[in-house]
Amino acid sequence: MSENSLALSIQGLGVSFFTEDGIARAVQDVSFSVKKGETFALVGESGCGKSVTALSIMRLIPQPPGKIVSGDIVFDNRSLLELSEKRMRGIRGNKIAMIFQEPMTSLNPVYTVGNQIVEAIRLHQKKSENQAWADAVDMLRKVGISEPEQRVNEYPHQMSGGMRQRVMIAMAVSCQPQLLIADEPTTALDVTIQAQILDLLDDLQKQNGMSILLITHDLAIVAERADNVAVMYASRIVEIAESKQLFQEPLHPYTKGLLKSLPRLGLGREVKRLQTISGTVPDPLHFPAGCKFHPRCSVGCSDKRCQGIEPELREVGNGRHVACWYAQGYETEEEIKEYESKYGKK
Amino acid sequence: MIKRRLTNSEQPKGRSLWQDGLKRLGRRKLAMVCFAVIVLYFLLAGFIYFAELIDWQVGPIRWQEEVGGAYEGPSSQNKFGTDIFGQSVLRKTLYGAKISITVALCASFISIVIGVPLGTIAGYYRGVVDEIIVWVYSTLSSIPYILLILAFAVVLRDKTLFGFKLTGITSVYLAIGLTSWVGLCRLIRGEVIKHKEREYVLAAKSYGCSGARIIFRHLLPNVFHLIIIDFSLRFVAFIHAEVILSFLGLGEATRPSWGVMINDARIELSRGVWWQMVAATAAIFFISLALNIFGDALRDAIDPRLRKAA
Repeated sequence: MSENSLALSIQGLGVSFFTEDGIARAVQDVSFSVKKGETFALVGESGCGKSVTALSIMRLIPQPPGKIVSGDIVFDNRSLLELSEKRMRGIRGNKIAMIFQEPMTSLNPVYTVGNQIVEAIRLHQKKSENQAWADAVDMLRKVGISEPEQRVNEYPHQMSGGMRQRVMIAMAVSCQPQLLIADEPTTALDVTIQAQILDLLDDLQKQNGMSILLITHDLAIVAERADNVAVMYASRIVEIAESKQLFQEPLHPYTKGLLKSLPRLGLGREVKRLQTISGTVPDPLHFPAGCKFHPRCSVGCSDKRCQGIEPELREVGNGRHVACWYAQGYETEEEIKEYESKYGKK
Repeated sequence: MIKRRLTNSEQPKGRSLWQDGLKRLGRRKLAMVCFAVIVLYFLLAGFIYFAELIDWQVGPIRWQEEVGGAYEGPSSQNKFGTDIFGQSVLRKTLYGAKISITVALCASFISIVIGVPLGTIAGYYRGVVDEIIVWVYSTLSSIPYILLILAFAVVLRDKTLFGFKLTGITSVYLAIGLTSWVGLCRLIRGEVIKHKEREYVLAAKSYGCSGARIIFRHLLPNVFHLIIIDFSLRFVAFIHAEVILSFLGLGEATRPSWGVMINDARIELSRGVWWQMVAATAAIFFISLALNIFGDALRDAIDPRLRKAA
């Protein structure tokens, strides 16, 4: 894979929040890369560090208490972490755009939607007021808002959630960014609108050839839309795979658990209880030692090594990455020997 | 309301917050009446300035003239009667508008210029800056208001500041302005803290807004209605403060102001001379009422969150 085919590459990213109660390591050693034109999904439960990762890419971590403590974020062959704040502003909205979870609150209530799209356009492009307004109307039409000539003069409170999210998308893609970060773009919307919004993102992606970093906790969305998936658990990536492979053959016990806990329609007549993953997500201030998933894991909960040594993300062949001692082909010969000498045969 | 459909060839026109708000304000009759009253007061003050400038000897300018004997009651000739020197109370009242409006306007200006930037900076940047600003205003606000304002007025009186001699009303509005920014600053700071956590601020950052742009374009408009309300209420308070200072002999000494008139009328009342008191009080009453009602209506009009469904 050549460097130029990558839109974004993150290496060993670590983000910590220095709070009064201690240091919360919200993101640790996160590495992944997004290819040009693909949709890369980042999946995980609430509080696992997905949004913090996204905000780190934009360099919008609230500072203090947050701080990027390690790693690098490379976009367009440049390290984003080394850019001056001014250069970074030129990238935000222009090269990398972001849409947020809550369309209800992410538009400024005192401006018409047109006003806000025009601001986004004029911040990065030298366009006259009139030209920008015409562009804003075009953008609204493009994101499927009917009667954009009238809608452009409406305030956010006059619009429904779905429409506001469309407006947010219009703002985000108005400068034709190379990367769109969609932080749970459909969580606050109902199911039919969800599909429409995702279809819209697909269309825009095809038109502009932009990459999408889709952050979600909804596996159904991932299965349909994403090319590659990274699963995050408690501040780390536990598995990266092509989305088809991930759904066919999950390698990490956490991914397996997630997939088993999905309701399925039309499979078999008998009604069974859904399987769940026992236990709760650990608090970032008090992560367990060793593999962070081990207290909830069905295979490794009593394994001394899982309790003591945290597995790193490794390639296990077939282009798949996983962080689990029990995954096929994960351990090196030396590690097997070391394990057997310490704890005896598995 | 039926909206006209635009054809594609027409350029869509943006409608700003203010155009929208003022249109809505126009529909409120009472507010417009109050606005007219306020404008009348301002015009009067402006007119007196103008007449003094070109030395045009119209009624209010000639307030010193003796138009009759001492303490003549209201008559067809002197609508509000005369005072102890036989000067027309009506003319003095009209002239007092100039003093009051000048003081209130300058004091409001000073307190907004100090309070809004400090409040916004403290709320947006927090940290050490915030602590210093909070410390300053907490200290100021721990001193009783009248005492503080008196202290400032006494200290500033007849001093020279940057080459300007602080006489009469200058020291009054400086004293009022320098002491009254605390409330506004605190209000704005709180509101900015609230708003900067909103997602639209994050969204604005995400499409490349700088800190200054977020403050001026995104946060200030969202707290602006508070400045307006505060201005309209405080304007009244400043008129009152001027009256109090003049009443206590720290304000305007040589020219008629409402405070001085009320101070004079205090003694006159026992003799049954009520017209000077009534004239000054009525003048204060009408502008206070008008400012309050108008300020409220203005807030309703420009704050989209309070807007009723059209």
